[in-house]
Amino acid sequence: MTEIAFLLNGTPVRVADQPPTRSLLDWLRETRGLTGTKEGCNEGDCGACTVMVTDAAGSRALNACLLFLPQLHGKAVRTVEGLAAPDGTLHPVQEAMIAHHGSQCGFCTPGIMVALAIAHAQGRADTDDVLAGNLCRCTGYAPILRAARAAAELPAPPQMAADASALSSFIVPQIRPPETRASDAAADTAPPVFRPTNSDDLAEWYAAHPEATLIAGATDVGLWVTKQLRDLGPVAFLSGVADLTHVETRGKVIGIGACVTIEALRRAMRDVHPAFAAMLRRFASVQVREAATIGGNIANGSPIGDGPPALIALGATLHLRQGDEMRAMPLEDFFLDYGSQDRKPGEFVAAVTLPSEAPALRCYKLSKRFDQDISAVCGCFNVTVEDGRVTDARIAFGGMAGVPKRATAVEAALAGGRWDEEAIRTALPAFAEDFAPMSDMRASADYRLDTARNMLLRYFHDLAGRPVSVLEVSP
Amino acid sequence: MTELFRMNEAQPRLLDETGQGVIGAPMDRPEGLLKVTGRAPYAAEQRPDGLVHGVLLRATITHGRVTGFDEGAVKDLPGYLGLFHGPEFVALPAQGMSTAAPLQPDGAVGYHGQPIGLVVAESFEVARDAAARIGISYDEVPGAPVDPSATPLEANSGGDTETGDLEAAMSAAAASVDLTYTTPGHAAAAMEPHAAVAEWQDGRLTLHGALQMLQFNKAELADALSLDPDKVRLLAPYVGGGFGSKLGISAEHVAAAVASRALDRPVRVVMARQTVFDAVLRRSETWQRLRLAADAEGRLTAIGHDDRVSNVADQGFLEPVSAATRFLYAAPSRLMRQHVSRNHRTPAGSVRAPGEAVGMLALECAMDELAERLNLDPLDLRLRNIPETHPETGQAFTAHALAESLRDGARRFGWDARPETGTRREGEWRIGMGLASAARTNLLIPSAARVTLGPSGAVVETDMTDIGTGTYAIFAQIVAEVLGLAPDQVEVRLADSDLPPSSGSGGSFGASSAGSAVFLAARKIRETLIERIGGAPNTVRFADGTVEAGGTRHRLADLVSEPLAMEAKIEKGETAKSHFSSGFGAHFAEVAVSDVTGEIRVRRMLGVFGIGRVLNAKTARSQAVGGMIWGVGAALHEALEHDPRTGHIVGRDLANYHVPAHADIPRALEVVFLPERDDEANPMQSKGIGELGISGAGAAVLNAVHNATGLRLRDYPATPDKVIAGLDGLGRA
Repeated sequence: MTEIAFLLNGTPVRVADQPPTRSLLDWLRETRGLTGTKEGCNEGDCGACTVMVTDAAGSRALNACLLFLPQLHGKAVRTVEGLAAPDGTLHPVQEAMIAHHGSQCGFCTPGIMVALAIAHAQGRADTDDVLAGNLCRCTGYAPILRAARAAAELPAPPQMAADASALSSFIVPQIRPPETRASDAAADTAPPVFRPTNSDDLAEWYAAHPEATLIAGATDVGLWVTKQLRDLGPVAFLSGVADLTHVETRGKVIGIGACVTIEALRRAMRDVHPAFAAMLRRFASVQVREAATIGGNIANGSPIGDGPPALIALGATLHLRQGDEMRAMPLEDFFLDYGSQDRKPGEFVAAVTLPSEAPALRCYKLSKRFDQDISAVCGCFNVTVEDGRVTDARIAFGGMAGVPKRATAVEAALAGGRWDEEAIRTALPAFAEDFAPMSDMRASADYRLDTARNMLLRYFHDLAGRPVSVLEVSP
Repeated sequence: MTELFRMNEAQPRLLDETGQGVIGAPMDRPEGLLKVTGRAPYAAEQRPDGLVHGVLLRATITHGRVTGFDEGAVKDLPGYLGLFHGPEFVALPAQGMSTAAPLQPDGAVGYHGQPIGLVVAESFEVARDAAARIGISYDEVPGAPVDPSATPLEANSGGDTETGDLEAAMSAAAASVDLTYTTPGHAAAAMEPHAAVAEWQDGRLTLHGALQMLQFNKAELADALSLDPDKVRLLAPYVGGGFGSKLGISAEHVAAAVASRALDRPVRVVMARQTVFDAVLRRSETWQRLRLAADAEGRLTAIGHDDRVSNVADQGFLEPVSAATRFLYAAPSRLMRQHVSRNHRTPAGSVRAPGEAVGMLALECAMDELAERLNLDPLDLRLRNIPETHPETGQAFTAHALAESLRDGARRFGWDARPETGTRREGEWRIGMGLASAARTNLLIPSAARVTLGPSGAVVETDMTDIGTGTYAIFAQIVAEVLGLAPDQVEVRLADSDLPPSSGSGGSFGASSAGSAVFLAARKIRETLIERIGGAPNTVRFADGTVEAGGTRHRLADLVSEPLAMEAKIEKGETAKSHFSSGFGAHFAEVAVSDVTGEIRVRRMLGVFGIGRVLNAKTARSQAVGGMIWGVGAALHEALEHDPRTGHIVGRDLANYHVPAHADIPRALEVVFLPERDDEANPMQSKGIGELGISGAGAAVLNAVHNATGLRLRDYPATPDKVIAGLDGLGRA
């Protein structure tokens, strides 16, 4: 593949002899012999392989099993082996983990140490979220939470900031700069690997290689390789496409680039659309949210992706690009059928735009397990009420059809009517016109329909000042 | 010199007299440093020179026979080293404490996903690629049964109990319940996937494996390979969780050994997570019928526990569903009966607390229903029915903490404030409290250990494993306490099958069984030193690396200029006949149930347990807490789902098999150990703790769901869809 360079526990490394879909986890363990980073599932579910990745935007926890090496170019990786100081002095979270017996069999421990060390440096105390992506089968979690609390007041050691400062002086090798060089001209028969730095280059290359796979966060495409053993053929890594990572507000419209990660989106939405942000907190673990992008979540077209229902309820517009052609459509129109989207060969999701004001937006995710679980039903509601009457209703669901889908019959039943419990109950039968959900492992059809209706009632009470927290039910 | 000690009578409480304050202290695990820095080496991380990589080839049919392999597509792959299969390969893991090779089917296939061969290559990627490309032809037996409810049942009458007249007692009862419960299969889901690294030298196999019980595993592997057991050495110093899934050798161990011998190269085989689900023993699904009858005072007159479980043909292990029902409550009429469905799902075996984990879900929920019919506090119903002696065998109980656990826990948890059923509401959340008894049999399994005292400290040697349970810490504490050393002066060497053989880790018996052998060896050194200084056993004092007798202090280092080694072996004796030992306890839970979505959130939990002497307050507590959240998983989330056509597990990953994640577990999760000594259990007066925490915990959660909502769910886990359907059935608003 194209040569790449990054910092590994503070030391520059160059990698030139590895296939482009080699995972960081395999490379660390098998090539470098750094076995502290564990493989528990190799698909982003368990977090045992959590590493810290730092770039100009900061440090974040990522699953090494879902990171292809080219995604790391120019960045810094710190593994569990790099958490202690060079003289062996442990990081405060490591000390606390021993003292509070947060490590038993020890197999999930390295990932938990890295996740906690990053959260510690960021001053985060929401341990449930920080560790949502780190499964532990031994401890019952309580000892880990105690360890996190015990370390919280201690200062972060210098090595936690070392990567950010080292990167500023890290000269990324420019040997035939891999960011811009499309290697398909090379004499070898390996499929082309492309690392565009801007969307114009991406558009040109993708139009010429419509069969290629675009890799942004690799949280889904990674599994095509590690679990489905697929040969991806030509690939383009989008992590360097700077002009698709914007979150910009212009007037009353927010524009979001396709390569904005779910975690960056969550942070951007916290003040403008707090209900959307709260739902994105349950979208996936921190490690997955820091990698996955909103463009990938949309382009993937999954009926149980958690991004689209909220965006549809917000009235988002999708922006697609093919070569120099741009087009826009209401997001809901993009999803044609299960596994089918309105996307032409060589066309990619460039951005999504949405209104900056939607005070009535609420999002409810329903899954068996609180975190790390796929929605059985994801319902998003955005109803505008003026003088007691519904003037606009946008309601969308995931998990209720083969695509993320608007509840148009319910919206119609509500439109123009009074906004009270009686009127809402009158609208409930319309759910059966909108949806004929399926029964599967996650939920039965009846349950899905039943709770979709109930969510509208929950929404009514929520807007009336009786919000519901599923996370915090403590007295 | 090996002292064989039989537990024939209650032993003096030496550990209460040594006075070091080490035993029972909440000592940190000594290997914690290695674990938090990522330096603890697990089996898959062994990298001997010349290491090559194997990937298990697995059956894509449910029942039949492999008739041939086609390597045509892979022979020329760079680095491809070959396909291995044949009569030595095993179809499934050995059951716990088997000592014999598991089924070696020589080409026969009994379940979908069964390992049938090993593909080896210079790189893992080529091996995996080849495994996907090798053609396999089968002679398939169509229509293999995979649905336990649709296959004929066989009686497993060996363990049946029938005393009195259950039917008559049910008819005459002031109140009774006759209820059916179902639980799905469960997976151990230890975080470390199964792994083996095998290499041979001069006809002797050395294998690093993810294993719990080395002396048994050595015999199993030797049997599988037709070797003298002395030709097998197993190493497992760090194991990333077991929970029963690593009790016996499994396919990767045999496969790695066979391929390594043929290639004369070290071979590594690591199971992918999906393979772990497919090819490692699961907990059987269960069907259970609970019949309980009581008189007007709430005294049980009859207990009936019928169950149905499943396994593949010829497997002797059957989930012992009624294990705790046999001794938890007194009742004159008793009926315990088991039936088994033989089918072609992934084979079943021991998963943490086999029996109690699912049997107590049903029993303790049924007790709650009976209490409701009697209009009696569920706490009182339990207190009224604690037996004086073992109801089936008549044995005396050893220390029995059930009543005190229930009372103490009720006080701490605020049980008095339990609301009337279905009356407490906070917004859309209905709030309720529940309790359940906890019980798990305590066993003493033959174990040996060697302790050597030298000038610079002591060394403990045994093949006992530490699968996260705290063995390294506890054994150092035992020796330090007995010999008056600091714990860091005791080096603990574990998990090498060349060391004295122990119980291994399993059945909650490891710390007490293997620990007792360590204790006895240390005690022998203590006695020898007392002899050497001519002291009187009652007046000597060991402390700070010295022993004091008659006003004279001797440095231990001076007394053992030559290292003093003692080996001890313990096995159960007369007390196991005269007495019945079990851990007991009580679980309390408070839950919130949404009547909008059916979501259940656990708000707080408390476990109060009597486990004899606590050997390390920190490791014991973590065992209990860890067990309790398994109870939450079994009650609310965890379920293996099978493809109805092939029996194949469909949710075979950690995204779809829902072990609890952080936010599913309340921060208010407390554990209390009652002061207790079990004099008849072993010379340390300790009991097991690894499985008591799960036993009954889920029932406390489900009983709290009833208290919150009035809803009785009997098909577990209690997922939101069942809650909503149930609430609809109750005619809620």
